[in-house]
Amino acid sequence: MTNPYLPEKATIVETRDETNGARPIKTFKVVLEHGRVLNQKPGQCAMVGILRVGESMISIASSPTRPEYLEFSIMKLGRVTSALHNCEAGETITIRGPYGNGFPIEEWRDKNIVTIGGGIGQAPLRPIVQYVLDNREDFGQFDIIYGAQTANDLCYKAELLALQKRDDLKVHLSIDMAEPGWQGFVGFVPNNVLRIKPSPQNTIAITCGPPIMIKYVIHNLLELGFSERQIFTTLENRMKCGIGKCGRCNVGNLYVCKDGPVFNYATLKDLPEF
Amino acid sequence: MDMLILKKDAVNEFLASLSGRYTVWAPVQKDSDTVFEPFGAGQHNVLDLTHQAKIIKHAIFPQTEQLFSFDQNDQIQEAIPGDREQNILFGIRPCDARSFALLDSVFAGDIPDPYYLVRRDTTILIGVACTEPFANCFCTSVGGNPCGRDGLDLLCTDLGDRYLVAVFSEKGTELVNKTASLFTKPSAEDMKQGQELSHRAERAVKRHIDLSGITDTLARIFEHPVWKKITLKCIGCGICTYTCPTCYCFDIQDESMAQKRGRRVRVWDSCMYKEYTLHASGHNPRPTRVERLRNRIYHKFKFHVDTYGVFGCVGCGRCITLCPVNEDLVENLIAVKGAA
Repeated sequence: MTNPYLPEKATIVETRDETNGARPIKTFKVVLEHGRVLNQKPGQCAMVGILRVGESMISIASSPTRPEYLEFSIMKLGRVTSALHNCEAGETITIRGPYGNGFPIEEWRDKNIVTIGGGIGQAPLRPIVQYVLDNREDFGQFDIIYGAQTANDLCYKAELLALQKRDDLKVHLSIDMAEPGWQGFVGFVPNNVLRIKPSPQNTIAITCGPPIMIKYVIHNLLELGFSERQIFTTLENRMKCGIGKCGRCNVGNLYVCKDGPVFNYATLKDLPEF
Repeated sequence: MDMLILKKDAVNEFLASLSGRYTVWAPVQKDSDTVFEPFGAGQHNVLDLTHQAKIIKHAIFPQTEQLFSFDQNDQIQEAIPGDREQNILFGIRPCDARSFALLDSVFAGDIPDPYYLVRRDTTILIGVACTEPFANCFCTSVGGNPCGRDGLDLLCTDLGDRYLVAVFSEKGTELVNKTASLFTKPSAEDMKQGQELSHRAERAVKRHIDLSGITDTLARIFEHPVWKKITLKCIGCGICTYTCPTCYCFDIQDESMAQKRGRRVRVWDSCMYKEYTLHASGHNPRPTRVERLRNRIYHKFKFHVDTYGVFGCVGCGRCITLCPVNEDLVENLIAVKGAA
């Protein structure tokens, strides 16, 4: 019997500051011991840990089409994430996983894709961005809608600004309140969705962000004519085991760690507590 | 199914003969409590319980359990219990034995949990039939029985100076074969007496609730004011979860030790605490005791049913007996049914 609680060692090869301020986000580029490949699906998560400190469930922010490393974008909040923020390139951390169902991205071939992210919620959507870019001819129109509280809180800012220059996708950035020098939309992400009006025609919409944002984004997508089945979200709850045993991440009778984190809205809407 | 007789004055010899090969857990009196402890020489076992024993879940699912340890060089040492640690739980009541049958499906499943499963596999459960159910027992309302066999290898029914022993499993057969000289064949009278006691015990269960249709009811009343009403008394102490034989939620924590050594442990946790679901962001999907008590009832009477097809409750009544503010699960379920 394999032991699902045993982590494997991994080395941080690079860290990158995404945002600073009260809740800084860092992206960690990581390789597993012996060059092992995790073989994750876009949208899956992993338990990232440090021995003597603990583990946190973190979504894998890189796509399996780029298997030479794993990336995790982590906001400094609790004990584990604060300890991770003190880690530098060359240090050893632990990984368990991959966990969860991931996005059914192979079923989305030939469809238009719109990702709608808020704050750190762009991290689980980033593997979709990379996957679509790496298989660009397999997908139709591609829109990235992303917002944060301030320009300083935008994750992957340089990357997204570079993508804005491409003509085979559109990047729509927003911040919650006006700032000098800001060229993009000012307002909440759900309002930006209403303004951009992505067409529901042959389109899949995937959203992740604060729970309240997800609710209003879904509400607005339905208003724009998206069917429930065209809307996906990826949830996060507090987790400890990652394998559907420890209890706490349930939404109804489903566990976010095992049955999620990706949910189609047609399933999600019937679950209590969402 | 084999039926045998074990004289009560041979019980100690039976346990002593096994205690070399097995760690035998048996109920003993400790202050005002009856607790299960590993059996030692000269120990007085309490099998005729005047009140309910504390749970024995920890024998297979310890309250704190080491998952692995690591040294100063971060070398990880696994801590899965070995096959050599054989356990016997002697004197367990049928509801508590049945709780292990429920936990089995949780810890097996598509990603098996080796810690629980190895210990479960190396443990033999010898029950004592509940011929006199306790005040808050409601096992028959949730699919159990005071003389039920779920999860048990052997079941002893008290016939006065002797036990009628029913053998349910291969493990049980092996065990009685090893100590065959202590057992005799039951008479027709013994068998009849055992059956009568079993029927009487079933009738002696004092508390009842008709739970047919409860999962459908729960599907309809998630937002009903009844949840607030039944939570008013609750102080969120979590004793209902810590004394519940079917609760299995756990936390995982790292502990540092001297010389940069350390270990990762899992410890029982409780869905009644706000930290249980608190997000790092400060958001909490179950922010007050109302959502937490509601989730506990949904988990046991709907979610567990949806996933495993049985209630996640064995009706032992401990959460009722031990609640410091008299929250009463049976009363609460009656209120929930009334809300539909």
